[in-house]
Order: sequence, then structure tokens, then C-alpha cells
Amino acid sequence: MISGSWFERQKNIIDYSLQSLLRRRSKNILILIIFILLVFAVSAILFITGSLTREMMITSNDLPDITVQRILGGRQVNVLSSYLPEIGKIPGVESVEARVWGYFYLASLQANFTIYGLDLNLLEEGEYRKLVNWKSVPDGAQRDPAFRMIVGQGVFELLRDIQMDEAYFFYQPSWQKPIPFDIIGTFKTETELQSNDMMILQTEGARKVLELPPDEFSDLAVYVPNPEEIENIALKIQRFFPELRTITSAQIQNTYASVFGWKSAFVLSGLLLAIFAFLILIWDKASGLTPEEKREIGILKAIGWDTDVVLSAKFWEGFILSGISSLAGILLAYAYIYWLRAPGLREIFIGWSTIYPSFQLIPDVDLKFLLLIITISVVPYLAVTIFPAWKAAITDPDAIMRNI
Amino acid sequence: MSKFIVETINVVKTYNPGKPNEVTAVRNASLQIDEGCLVVLKGPSGSGKTTLLSLIGCQTKPTRGEVIILGKNVSKLPEKFMNLHKRNHIGFIFQHFQLIAGMSVLDNIVLPLIPEGTSPRERSKRADRLLERFDLGNRRHFKVSHLSGGEQQRVAIARALINNADLLLADEPSAHLDSRLTNELLNYIKRLKRSGRAIVITSHDPIIYQHLAVDQVFEMQDGRIVSS
Repeated sequence: MISGSWFERQKNIIDYSLQSLLRRRSKNILILIIFILLVFAVSAILFITGSLTREMMITSNDLPDITVQRILGGRQVNVLSSYLPEIGKIPGVESVEARVWGYFYLASLQANFTIYGLDLNLLEEGEYRKLVNWKSVPDGAQRDPAFRMIVGQGVFELLRDIQMDEAYFFYQPSWQKPIPFDIIGTFKTETELQSNDMMILQTEGARKVLELPPDEFSDLAVYVPNPEEIENIALKIQRFFPELRTITSAQIQNTYASVFGWKSAFVLSGLLLAIFAFLILIWDKASGLTPEEKREIGILKAIGWDTDVVLSAKFWEGFILSGISSLAGILLAYAYIYWLRAPGLREIFIGWSTIYPSFQLIPDVDLKFLLLIITISVVPYLAVTIFPAWKAAITDPDAIMRNI
Repeated sequence: MSKFIVETINVVKTYNPGKPNEVTAVRNASLQIDEGCLVVLKGPSGSGKTTLLSLIGCQTKPTRGEVIILGKNVSKLPEKFMNLHKRNHIGFIFQHFQLIAGMSVLDNIVLPLIPEGTSPRERSKRADRLLERFDLGNRRHFKVSHLSGGEQQRVAIARALINNADLLLADEPSAHLDSRLTNELLNYIKRLKRSGRAIVITSHDPIIYQHLAVDQVFEMQDGRIVSS
């Protein structure tokens, strides 16, 4: 008999495995669908968690090294300007910035916006200029430069819906009249996770809207050039001023990571039922071959197939089925998260704001995620496919075929 | 080295040894078969003829004794080499044909060539010759489950011959055939014998063992060869 190459032999075996899968197509299609759904669900959660954590880590690089808040009666209150020089004197502190920010509730839209006070002239000139899509304000419409603002894309879309995309009038019932602000730009999509519900107002204007007295601030941002010193300086601030609370950038990053990690674990635990059902299914498959499958292995052995060839055929069957399922599940999850923007899942993961950011997640496919998905899908499936086949293949073909 | 194409020496086969359901199917069976001979193992059900045929066909190993096929003591060979010997020299026609139901006639016939790494073209060439020889050319792509009993029998013979076996074994080949199909089968067997192959058949059908082409009949009873 003419023997072909190893490659030709594997080609023949793969060909046989494909035929075998097609012969049991109803059962295999059912497994394929369940497999794809499960891989899709797990991949989608891992993708969104990975992307959000990564995006938060990148954007949190711009956070102050230490954020200082004042606590009175267990709640956060305004920080007095007198703290600025005192903290600035602590050795190791490069600069201290007083920040003006707060929230503004828009009843008509039932939405909370984050308002941040900044000198917009700095934004127009500095390196951050490229983060903004600048708008030209119509001639004659320009009011006091203290009443200008830049808004996040989500805010802009909501304001456009109510025909206020050029200027917005802030108003509270306790005020005598509304305060108009010109919209001079919108933040670019790259910053949407942070900027989507944000309004950056000229500091003077922000103080008016937030009703903040001139010598008070929302909090302080402390910058420390030596990262090793950040924790020490935070401790010193707390020791010198017990009424102040310090939050380091590392603590904020940890909070982001744990929030997404917790949400991911929460959703994954919801999937436990599906995983459990799948395990029952594959356990059922593993608990033994059908008499027809056993007979087929017996026939193959009886006509001279070696045990390793039978196992190769079963390996390819399992690999093709689980490989296609895993690949399809991962690709579907990729499309769902990065193209369709994760409808349903997005609300669970980023729903801390009243307006959900509709941002485009930056694809972040970590090789270790893929390995994890493959490990929890392909490997167990291969094991449960090959083990019963091995048990049948090591039995005498004579015994299998005669049912002895 | 044995001058016979098949030789068994005091072969014993016990299933489930040491268990309550222990069965000794073959007891001290010794026989020799020459090249080009048509031999029948006859006997009632449970006499051990199928087990002896399985031993000759390398489907199982003897508990004791020796089975020598084409000069090679297969009872001592590791599985891999026994399978290689089987693929290269033995063709087996099973009692219930043992075809894979969902596969086509062609795919069933070429199954023994898959582990050899034979190219699809070569497989198809060899199968075509056999399909023509057994009048199955127009059934090439039919699923075997859609064939008649006689056609399935011929597919089983074609599969047994795809590797140009020197030794052809058939287990109760007429068990599921009427007299017309049995005669047809015997005609095929005669033709195969003329091609120089040794053929061993188990049967308790007089049409088979009394046929003129049969060279030798071994009668079995309770696992023993009682006459030849």
C-alpha cells in the first residue's frame, strides 16, 4: 500500500472530521450556537472591562497627584483660599491649583451636567487646544468673555435637541434672570468617556452658576513632581489640616479598576447559569458516546485505523467546532462592543451619569484575554470530546462491534 | 517462518478473564491455510468461528497461543504494527457489513486508506475500479443507508479489497442475503479466489460450505476445531 506524507494524512483526517461533523449536523449546530453565545457573552464583558479600564488609566494620567477636599460634619464643603499658600509651602509640592466645579441639574432634560470652571484662554492657546472642536461664535452674539463654555459631545447633542446649540441659558428659580453662556466648542470624541456630560465654563461664569463665593473653591489640586513623595505629602496635608481629605491619583485609578472589575464580576456571575448549562451539556457529551458513535469507532479500528488516528480525527472535530465557535463568539463580541457600542451592556458598565456617554470605545484586545477565553472554551471541549473517544478506541474493535 | 498464509497454534481466546461473565470462545484452535485457498469455518452459533476469524483478522489478540499471518506472529505485535499489517494484507467483510450509514458509498470504500495518507485522487482511482467491478458505479455518491442489502454487501466487499488484501475474511456473508444474492456473492468470491487471494469465510449455510470452490472446511464446536 502506498503511504502518503504526514501532511497528506492529516489532510485526510481533517476531511473525515469535517464529514463527521456534517453528518451529525443538528446536534453540532446546537452545540455551536450555545458555544458561540457563551463565548460572545464572556468576551464582551472582558472586552468592555479591558477597554474601560485602559481608557480610564490613560485619562487618569491627567489627574492631579493629590486632590484635596474639605470635610465638615462628614460632608464635603467648599475649600477656603487660605489653604493654598499653606499647602504650597510643604516641601515637595510643586504647585497647588484651586478648582471650581459642581453639578447642574437640568429639569427639562432630567439630566445632571458636570460643570467645571477653567480659564478658557489657556485652553485656546495651550497644548489642550487640539482636544476641542472650536466653533465660531456668530458676529454680534458674543457676550461677556466670562460667560463662555465648551461642552462634551453628549451635552451638545442634548442641547441641540432643544435648539440651544449656540448658547445656553442657565437658570434656577431662585435667580432673578437666566445667565446666558456662548458655546465656543465641543470636546473631541477621544475624551468622551470623561467629557461627555461635562460643561467647561469660564471660571467667573462657573462661580455664578455654582453660586460659589469669590474666596472659596470646590477643591484643590496638588502637584508633586516626585511620584515617591505623593503618599507622604498626602499624609502631611492630613496631619497639618485634619479637616481636609486627600485623594491620590493612585487611589482614583484603583477605584476605577475595582469599579469595572466589580461590575465585570457581577455580570459574569449572572452568566454562571449559562456556563452551568453549558457544562451540563458538555458533561452529557463526555459521559459517554452514543452507541452509533461507539460503533463508528469500532468500524474504524476494525478496518485498521490506529488509536492515535481515531483520536486525531476526534481532536480535529472538537477543534473545528470549538475553534469556529470561539472565533465567531470573539468576533461577534468585538463587533458588539466596538462597532455597535455595546447596547445593554454599556448602561451597566458606565451608567454612573444621568446621561449615558455614547462614546466609541477604543479597541483593546489583550492577548491574555484571548488565551483565557480559549482556555475556558476550547480546551475543556477538546478534553470531553477526546476522552470518551479514547476509551472506545482502546477497546478491541471486536468487542465494540459485538457489544461484548 | 511459516509457509502458510495463515497459521494458528493452540489459540485460546477468553473474554472478560477473571470476571463473573468470563467466556472462553476459542480453545486450543490450530489450523493452517495455504495461499489461494478458499476455507470455510463452519459451526452452530456460539461455536467460536467468528472469534477465530477475528483473531485471524487481527481484530483482537489471543489470550494464549500464536496467530501467524503471512509469516508474522501478530499475537505478539504492538497495536500499531498489528494495524499496519492488517491494513496492508487483510480485508474484512463483517457480518452486518459495518458500513457508516451517513457516508456515501465512495467514502465508505476508501475509509481504510485515510490513515495511509493516500491522496484523494489515488483513493478515487482505486475506488472507481472496484465500483465498476461490483456494479456500483451509479451508486458512487449514494448514502449506504439508501442501498439494498445486496448493494451494501458489495460495498463491504469493495472496502475490504481497497488495500489489495492478500487475505480476505468474511464473517457469515450470506446471513442477511436471499439465495439469489448468496449465489451472486459466491460468484464474486470465486472471482476473488481466481485472483490468488486466500479467503476465509465463517458460515453455517450449506450453500456456502458445500460449494465446489471451497477447498477446506473446518468444523467448530464449543470453541474447538472438531474436524477438517
